[in-house]
Amino acid sequence: MRRCVVAGAAALCLALQVRADEPLSPRFVEETAASGITTAYDGEWEFMVGGGVATFDCSGDGKPEVFVAGGAGMAALYRNNSALAGALRFAPVASGLELESVTGAYPLDIDADGLTDLVLLRVGEDIVMRGEGDCRFARANEAWGFEGGDAWSTAFAATWEAGAAWPTLAIGTYIDRAEEAFPWGSCTDTHLFRPGGRGFAPPLPLAPGFCALSMLFTDWNRSGTPALRISNDREYYKGGREQLWRIEPGKAPVEFTEAEGWKTLRIWGMGIASADLDTDGFPEYFLTSMADNKLQRLTPPALQAGRPTYGDVAFKLGVTAHRPYTGSETRPSTAWHAQFDDVNNDGRADLFVAKGNVAEMPDFAQDDPNNLLVQRSDGTFAEMGDVAGVASMAISRGGQLVDLNLDGLLDLVVVNRWQGAQVWRNVTEGAGGWVQLRLAQEGANRDAIGAWIEVRDGDRVQRREITAGGGHASGHLGWRHFGVGQATTVEVRVLWPNAEAGDWQPVASDTFQTLSPGRAPIVWQP
Amino acid sequence: MFPRCALAARADRVLMLALAERKGGADRVRRRAVTFGLAASAAAIATGWRPAVAAGPVEGRDVMRTWYRLVLELVRHTPTYSPPVASRAFACLGITAFEAVAGGDARLLSLAGQLPDLTPLPPREAAPHDEALVLHAALGAGVRHFFANTGPTGQRAMAAMQRHFDERLAGGLSPEVAQCSIEAGERVAAHVIAWSATDGGAVVENMGFAASAVPPSRPEQWVPTSLIAQQQAPLLPTWGQNRPFAMPSAAACGLPPPPAYSEMPGSAFHAEAMEVVKTVAALTDKQRRIARFWADDPMLSPTPPGHWVSIAAQVLATQDAPLDRMAEVQARLGIALADAFIACWATKFEYDLLRPVTYIRRVIDPAWEPLLNTPPFPEYPSGHSTQSGAAAAVLTAMFGEDFAFEDATHVDDGLPARSFPSFAAAAEEAGLSRLYGGIHFRAAIERGLEQGVCVGAHATALRMRA
Repeated sequence: MRRCVVAGAAALCLALQVRADEPLSPRFVEETAASGITTAYDGEWEFMVGGGVATFDCSGDGKPEVFVAGGAGMAALYRNNSALAGALRFAPVASGLELESVTGAYPLDIDADGLTDLVLLRVGEDIVMRGEGDCRFARANEAWGFEGGDAWSTAFAATWEAGAAWPTLAIGTYIDRAEEAFPWGSCTDTHLFRPGGRGFAPPLPLAPGFCALSMLFTDWNRSGTPALRISNDREYYKGGREQLWRIEPGKAPVEFTEAEGWKTLRIWGMGIASADLDTDGFPEYFLTSMADNKLQRLTPPALQAGRPTYGDVAFKLGVTAHRPYTGSETRPSTAWHAQFDDVNNDGRADLFVAKGNVAEMPDFAQDDPNNLLVQRSDGTFAEMGDVAGVASMAISRGGQLVDLNLDGLLDLVVVNRWQGAQVWRNVTEGAGGWVQLRLAQEGANRDAIGAWIEVRDGDRVQRREITAGGGHASGHLGWRHFGVGQATTVEVRVLWPNAEAGDWQPVASDTFQTLSPGRAPIVWQP
Repeated sequence: MFPRCALAARADRVLMLALAERKGGADRVRRRAVTFGLAASAAAIATGWRPAVAAGPVEGRDVMRTWYRLVLELVRHTPTYSPPVASRAFACLGITAFEAVAGGDARLLSLAGQLPDLTPLPPREAAPHDEALVLHAALGAGVRHFFANTGPTGQRAMAAMQRHFDERLAGGLSPEVAQCSIEAGERVAAHVIAWSATDGGAVVENMGFAASAVPPSRPEQWVPTSLIAQQQAPLLPTWGQNRPFAMPSAAACGLPPPPAYSEMPGSAFHAEAMEVVKTVAALTDKQRRIARFWADDPMLSPTPPGHWVSIAAQVLATQDAPLDRMAEVQARLGIALADAFIACWATKFEYDLLRPVTYIRRVIDPAWEPLLNTPPFPEYPSGHSTQSGAAAAVLTAMFGEDFAFEDATHVDDGLPARSFPSFAAAAEEAGLSRLYGGIHFRAAIERGLEQGVCVGAHATALRMRA
């Protein structure tokens, strides 16, 4: 039963009422039991955060495989055996990724060999796993000069700095886990792994670290050089804040300051999602937290002045997602992975938020349903997690909205603490059209991390920054999905990283297209 | 009477069972070496307020300091702990510690019979006790109760602290003495916990925010100022109805109404708002530092009452105060702080006045921004002022009129220590910090300080020494 929460807050109450202009409600069917995915995110205190999932194609059939972090248990890679537009079916595959203490994972083609590699965040040594084809992976720390350290790693982002043939990785870490009675204030450093020699240079500390739980290289001001945004957990830092680091090629990283417009914000930062919601060309950022979530948008003066000053529009747009909207709970929520994507293909980005108690914190909801906030035409959002069928009460952490059966509808996989991951198939009837695009360029950065894809339908342009990082310990590499509503043809172009914008080119809806610099789109058939 | 205390043959086993039972909550926690020394904060080092070290005898003072240091962290890291809730915990834990110490110190007088409904504490058995272990058992049980709702890291920390002192204190004692001491301390805690259950503040839901709020019907009434959905209803609207600790009732320290609401330029109310506007527009660097030094936001600090508890702890450490003095000071201070929030909240919801940001944007400047985040509850009087006035009254009574001190509470957070010529001067600065922050009118500050003096006098009047 849907409840109108905070009865005295008329504005919010109204925002939760069913409206005449409600968007098409998506519908998902849970197929966890038959899917073959069984991995739970296990473990106690050292695994209270993390719990990521990575989706990427390593079998070459275009369908994303699913890798699930297992925490104290074993991580697992599942081969995607789903039939086209059919039920979701997976089988565990012996991949070399069967490791303990994995908190999260991000796919990335580090060595530009055309095979996806995987960065494993761990409690202990982080490991870069080189893709060897056919879903086999091998440790590459030594070969690539990657110093995996011994920390509690919880956040990741990657970029290719201008002119670099090798990526720059950022890995955020959490608490000094040796501290028992007074762990507060013991946040360990974030590390930046820049290219060096035939791989990575020794890690450069981004100090102070404030217990990062999500990070994202993002071109917030469209300068062409992404900065590193870090969302930090205020539970453990002292003197900390949300951070934005200026990472310029060949220069030492420098943190943006209040004097430059970066206002102090202190939240239980756990996840970052970004999207250009208002189509002004600049991303908005959704930041997950506890009892409150933020949706940051550049303030008008900041937009004019090019300063990183953000206002919070979560309340205005109805995405505070601060407490359960279904079930009997009135206690506030705990939010983790967040992701903007279009689940009903109406051309507007929707928002998925994974929810779950840290463990058994009595001040927070124990039955805390995941959110699926569907965007209306006026830019506000409607909660549809319950009617869509994804309002799981499991203790969720990471997740991915991703088309697992290549039917053009985004499916959902969510990792849970102490319980097997869940899988839902999107079966929305009457959904709009779609295009799914894959970027491919020669040389380094083959997947064009840092590019912007633009999809134009008439005078409306959807823009998406292609990033590696963010969410909560969860990443995706492969098809980039756009809903296009009723359009049968749309125009697409790519603003390639550190290069000119490509030309606008028509593509038919309901198709997969591979986009490369200076070439016409190539249709891919599943 | 307490047969386990006298049965030496069973004592070993009973002691082990008692210790194991208290560790039960930590079963899921991997055991590690305690590293208190490495985690010592900059403030702790600066003031000599260090936790017990891994070698040498443990005194009751070590127990008190270290548990209080953990309590200040737990207050910061337990989401229910808004300032009023924190003040209640400081009072109850202060009373627990004091009664535990008083049970073995004939110079001290119990608060039973002086605080409403507090019945005499259970008498100790006529047997030897280890006073440090009594205090540890009492504080450990009290902290576990009042912070039962803290997160997994807080639970882990409490378990580590309990284990640390269990091993350090009980290890060198005979089983009989250890068992008697633990039982005595836990009985004190149980008594105070049972007493506290009926004061009106024991259950805090939704982090203290009301489930609903009545829309204002008059222009002077408080309206939400936050963009956080949970804060569209005020914090703890019935807190002023809680049973007081030392003052006879909240009304005993009531206040006259604030200046009459008016939007007319030249009116007293408009003039107060203009003062806020002009002050914020012309803030000096020093004033900005002061505003941030005293901000003490929940979840980002030990809260305003915790700031004063920290000040007291630093002063006691500087003086190398004996345990009985530490217990008396923290008990009186906790009581005063808790009563201050009861009196203040009763007055806040009696007058239900809007915040400067609401009035100024409505009447003077729609784009006006305060320096600090505006708290989610009515304006008059200023909670910082009331509780600082009360704390200063108690500490002045305990340490003297012109007691100069340095406050390093926020050094770990990057805010340098500040020095004050007296507790009253610190309280006045804490009050004015809210004007600099743009979140209070002057009347709320001045009347709040006066209210605090009234509250503090009741705590000061308690007879705690023979």
